[in-house]
Amino acid sequence: MLTTLSKTARGLAFAAAAVVAGASGAAFAQAKVAVITPYMAQPGTQAYVEAFQAVAKEKGWDVNVVDTAGDVAAVISRIEDVVNQGVDAIVINVDPTQVAAGLQTAKDANIPVVGMDAGSDPLLATNVTSDGVAMAETTAGFVVDRIGGEGNVVMFVFDAFPPVQVRGAKADEIFAANAGITVLDRITPDVSDGGIADSRAKMDAVLAANPEPGSIKAVWAAWDQPALGALQAIEAAGRQGEGIVITGIDANPQAREEVAKGGNFEATVAQDFAGIGAAAAEAVAGLLAGTAPADAVTFVPTKLVTKENAAQ
Amino acid sequence: MTIATLLRRYGTLIGFALILGFFWFNLPDTFMTARNWLNITQQLSMLMVVAAGMTIVMVMGDFDLSVGSAASLSGIVAGVLFAAGYPIWMTVGVALLGGLVGGAINGVLVSFIGILPFVATLAMLTILSGAAFVLSGGKTISGASIPADFSNFARGGIPLGDIGGVAVMLPNLTIVALVVVFAVWVLLEQTTFGRRLYAIGGNIEAAYLSGVAVRRLKLIAFALTGLSAAAAGLMYASRVASANPTQGSGLMLNAIAAVFLGMTMSEQGVPRILATVIGVLILGVLDNGLTQLSVDSYIRQVLVGAIILLAVAASSFSKRLRR
Repeated sequence: MLTTLSKTARGLAFAAAAVVAGASGAAFAQAKVAVITPYMAQPGTQAYVEAFQAVAKEKGWDVNVVDTAGDVAAVISRIEDVVNQGVDAIVINVDPTQVAAGLQTAKDANIPVVGMDAGSDPLLATNVTSDGVAMAETTAGFVVDRIGGEGNVVMFVFDAFPPVQVRGAKADEIFAANAGITVLDRITPDVSDGGIADSRAKMDAVLAANPEPGSIKAVWAAWDQPALGALQAIEAAGRQGEGIVITGIDANPQAREEVAKGGNFEATVAQDFAGIGAAAAEAVAGLLAGTAPADAVTFVPTKLVTKENAAQ
Repeated sequence: MTIATLLRRYGTLIGFALILGFFWFNLPDTFMTARNWLNITQQLSMLMVVAAGMTIVMVMGDFDLSVGSAASLSGIVAGVLFAAGYPIWMTVGVALLGGLVGGAINGVLVSFIGILPFVATLAMLTILSGAAFVLSGGKTISGASIPADFSNFARGGIPLGDIGGVAVMLPNLTIVALVVVFAVWVLLEQTTFGRRLYAIGGNIEAAYLSGVAVRRLKLIAFALTGLSAAAAGLMYASRVASANPTQGSGLMLNAIAAVFLGMTMSEQGVPRILATVIGVLILGVLDNGLTQLSVDSYIRQVLVGAIILLAVAASSFSKRLRR
């Protein structure tokens, strides 16, 4: 009896959803959305998911957050389960190529999947992430402004990892466009120990080779660790008074602390994790209303962190 | 048969039936469907293979803590060889052989050197896991280095026709798991080798005195457990089309839990392969059903632990009643 009732109710709900979605474009009240990640223990992922849930609550969705605690094959299994359950949309936060088997199952069932900083994949409706190129543009632009477009710049890059490689390429472009700027060295640090120690050693060498005050105007790093290493080298050499401008990217806690002190490490860029979660929710809302996201990648703006706002 | 005996023999089975009934009632449209059950068997295939291998050593009263890292390592070995351009058959062969050798080392440590299985296999867990990190440099091997034929294996299967307009197939991973379970069943239940393992588990002294080659049998049993772990590692790598140095680590505790759950179903409290299969199904059905009911994934873990305790407690309590 109960089963029959709930079946009827579900049938009605389905029909209503179809009508509402077709007519007004508004998402149906109890849309079911599954958020599946193996990385819930990561602070970034927690921020995405909380922001996603805040939007979902407003929209009245029934959100099921599944954490597989590091198990990627279990992500595929849970995607299969929620597809079978008949959810309206799925959000993942894991490398899509590793869960392609599950994404294909969702596609076969016509259930859209949105990536939350997951990586681009044809099986995703869209991937919501930060724009690495824009972040590099921001910090390289900051460097150019601060040194007035004149002087020697040391770059720390890492071309073996594509998301970081594009940052370096953008910075190359910006420095090349300023005739007064010379790239003194383009260093790839050894990152096996985290990157700070080797970056410091490499910077020690650069400082030793360029002893004149003012011979190094700035250090541009593609992420925070080399910037922290360069800062240590400059302080150890007693050259912090020369006004060498250092920038990083990512705004990790250690970098924020240094930027807040107002020393040589002047700026870094923060990804907006909450913004990524909220934008993923908006992408889902669009899909539920029947509009596919415009692009395979949805960029969320990032924020420059300087002395003024580093403590936030 | 008294109620106590009934509970002891069939308590876990009744519990399993209740779990199935609960999900069937609450998920009337999606749980008891061919499609869902094929999904479940595919999701469980890797755990099934590891648990089947684990049953072999647990029959002798031993266990193997290194199966999870053996599975991770075999995935990494395959990934590294794929990246170096070796063909699939050779890569799979080397990875399986590696598992067999790793298991044999466990066997030597336990039976010839005489180290307790807990200590020997714990040390091997650390060594194999470390080796997986060394070989991979701690990175995930994925993308173009993994041949499409290898990852397609986990996505393919034997077509079973259409159900409700959707093509349904018997997944390859399920077939592998069935083959392994059948092989272990033949080995343990139909051969003298298996009967001798049970004899060792029953009373190792008596087995030795009656002429059972205890050391050699233990060595072979551990080697087979290692082989099954390596097979599961390859299945995992195929499913996620990548290899990561920690990806098998979740398998070990679940495999032991499945065998324990199964042991509550046998009269003498010994591991039986078919009972292990039920144990694996209980764990997998809980994951599948609770996900579909949108139950919090952390609550699920608590529930799984509670069910294991409940099953083992019910079994030992009813045994005490008999005395």
